Amino acid sequence: MPLLTALGRRLLVVVPILAVVSMLLFTALRILPVDPAAMSVPPNATKAEIEVARRQMGLDRPLPEQYGIWLGHVLRGDFGRSIHLRRPVTELIGESLPATIELAACAMLVAGVLGLAGGLLLFALRDRAMEAVAETGTTLLMSIPEFLWALLFIFVFGVLLQAMPFTGRIDPALRLPLVTGFLLLDALLVGRPDILVSALQHMVLPATALGIAFAPPIMRVLRASLLDVYHEDYITQARLRGLSPARVLLAHALRNAALPTLTLMGVQFGFLFGGSLLVEVIYSYPGMGNLMVDAVRNADLPVIQAVGLTYCVVVLAINSVVDGLYLVLNPRLRAR
Amino acid sequence: MAGLSRRTLLTSAAAGLGAATLAAPSVVRAATDSATIGWNTDVPSWDPNQRFVPDAQSIFKAVYDQPLDQDPKLKLVPHLIKTWALAPDGLSLAVELRDDVAFHNGDKMTSADFRWTFFERIKAGHKIDIAQSWRKVTDIETPSATKAVMRFNSPAPTAPAWLAFLGSYMVPKAYMEKVGLEGFNAKPVGSGPYKLVEYQMNARIILERNEQYWGPKAPLKRITIEVIKDQTARVAAVQSGQVDLTAGVPVRETTRLGKLAGLAGELNPITRIILLQVRNDMGFADPNIRLAAHHAIDKAALSRAFYAGAAVPLSVPGVPGSPGYLEDFHFAYDPKLAMQLLAKSGYGPKKPARIRMATTNGTFASDYDIARAIVQMWKKVGIEAELEVIEYAKYFELNRGNKLPESTLYSFDNATGDPEIYAGYLLNPKLPFSPWKDPVFGEKVIALFNVADEKARIAGWRALNKEAVEIGACMPLLQSVQTLVRKKALDYTRYGNGWVLPQTMRWS
Repeated sequence: MPLLTALGRRLLVVVPILAVVSMLLFTALRILPVDPAAMSVPPNATKAEIEVARRQMGLDRPLPEQYGIWLGHVLRGDFGRSIHLRRPVTELIGESLPATIELAACAMLVAGVLGLAGGLLLFALRDRAMEAVAETGTTLLMSIPEFLWALLFIFVFGVLLQAMPFTGRIDPALRLPLVTGFLLLDALLVGRPDILVSALQHMVLPATALGIAFAPPIMRVLRASLLDVYHEDYITQARLRGLSPARVLLAHALRNAALPTLTLMGVQFGFLFGGSLLVEVIYSYPGMGNLMVDAVRNADLPVIQAVGLTYCVVVLAINSVVDGLYLVLNPRLRAR
Repeated sequence: MAGLSRRTLLTSAAAGLGAATLAAPSVVRAATDSATIGWNTDVPSWDPNQRFVPDAQSIFKAVYDQPLDQDPKLKLVPHLIKTWALAPDGLSLAVELRDDVAFHNGDKMTSADFRWTFFERIKAGHKIDIAQSWRKVTDIETPSATKAVMRFNSPAPTAPAWLAFLGSYMVPKAYMEKVGLEGFNAKPVGSGPYKLVEYQMNARIILERNEQYWGPKAPLKRITIEVIKDQTARVAAVQSGQVDLTAGVPVRETTRLGKLAGLAGELNPITRIILLQVRNDMGFADPNIRLAAHHAIDKAALSRAFYAGAAVPLSVPGVPGSPGYLEDFHFAYDPKLAMQLLAKSGYGPKKPARIRMATTNGTFASDYDIARAIVQMWKKVGIEAELEVIEYAKYFELNRGNKLPESTLYSFDNATGDPEIYAGYLLNPKLPFSPWKDPVFGEKVIALFNVADEKARIAGWRALNKEAVEIGACMPLLQSVQTLVRKKALDYTRYGNGWVLPQTMRWS
């Protein structure tokens, strides 16, 4: 019960955050010097036709009233229609969101695996000459932005080695199995290993490009946590009991050092989700980032608002999950 | 979900992961009866009448048919319409449709579809951009299944050209009414040489040959269009062999890739023009400054620097070979004359005339660099320009709000080559393309829209083109260049307006 109460308390915080974000998002986009009514008509439309469009879109009403109407629709799951694509925005989000979540999850996996391996390596190299070299390496990894990794990987693995595909989610010869929109999962659900293979091949480069820059902070936090944990009495006792260094590290120290790392990964997922914008464009990956870039180019306010809010919801959801995991792993927090 | 068993799930996972680790992906495709194109834009929707997106026309033309077509040299030619006759007063257009055309769902095309596309949909309030191009239509009579007469409320001399232009694609009335707009977008039906078989928004379009096509069958059975918006990725895709043809890559890359074995790089001049759209007020109220600004621009140098010399310098808003182009009119690059004109108005390098200039960055090849070069050219003669970057879509909004700066670097697409769709749009003060708002000149432009006689119409536009440049209302710069890289063995038909049509592609 204390666990559920603590979780409930944390979830309650999400509601006002969402309300504030939606208000900020709506107001900021309305203040921008962009006229959605003008963008919704063809270039050769007259001023009178633009005014008609403005009235039809409700843009002639006071801002608070516009916000109220928009929020009312959003609460019913209706984000309006795209100005540029003239399709329901909910439909567009529905088509794009699974792809981005899948990409971000795979990128997180890459970051997690590299972070874990690198963190253990950094810890193993502590107080040795190679430590400085490893530190420099992590700094280098961190200082290259994800779009540069994306281009670099295309050049190396796509052009030079011609070893990996880098456009889309799947080989053109294969048909997308549309079950959940999560392609890797769908391939499993329909029992098609060929699709799974192709989807994985297409996922490797974008997920690595997106995830690689997020690995160094995980490495560093893990290393620091391990250094802290190694000063604890139970580690000394484990050593005195004659356990092997590997067992002390993996069975005792790592489990406790993982908590701050987990929090960091939760926070990072939000950045990683947002960082997918350029990576998706570069890899022709049909996700939210690609949708957002187009929407910004075309001043498609309903899509920008919806994508912005969806980003916020996903990030809050991930943070809540991480909070939940934290509570499960650390009983002391439940009482707070 | 229902058919999923634990065994299937585990088998798939194990096999998939194993194969992913072991299998070396094949990314270089052999030449077959299919081709993969790396294209820079997706379709805005599968309703071809809905949005004007010039770069999407090549895709639409594979799936849909236009009533009229253009040959590679841009001459209007019959297509769904066998014959057409514009009335001498320009108030009606009689057309005769083919009787052997079927849509992809098997429905026969008739004049009812023609009336639906160009009249009923507009009257029904469908949010489609062609409502603007066909706003003059008051009715379409359909005396028979193959005959139709378009009626206009004022002369429409460019109506035939518009039947082969942006957004004018025939859509099936019965099917559209049956499935609705959402249904049509989800499963589009045209009458073109290819059928859409798979679409992943912002990623991929897969087309298969329409074996029942009424016209010449497409040589290739299957076309895959990879939507690759990033130009660096397009370069990589064609170099690595992941696509067989791509367009819209940087000029330098086109030249470099063209030197690689098996690839051909092309710089094709097209009907798109690059110009400076100018205001008739603020810092450009003085004609001396406008003309000086124009004389100070070395267009040939711009072409050499940014388009490997392939972009033709222009003196009028039109391209060589188009009806409004003046072979014998040349607006000189003359910095000395520019300085003299500025001196007349009290300006010079030591006391520069100050203006602002807007440009896009990345909308067309080297746009921002061209703008910067012009700013430098102006500086030498005594014009100090403050450069600002705007999004292409913002141009219309700024112009409607009278907020554009004195000059804006602009690219204008006119696949028809008709002079009305160049100067008539670029200089019409009632349309949002033109920042030039002088009512006297504007009246001359608007009057030409109602000239039905073809000879008089073309002569009128030619004279207006010259006058516009001479008074400094327009500063044409270059004929735009389409950059294209393809596998040498993949042939296609070059169109003067930049269409790259899948139905013309074949492996040699």
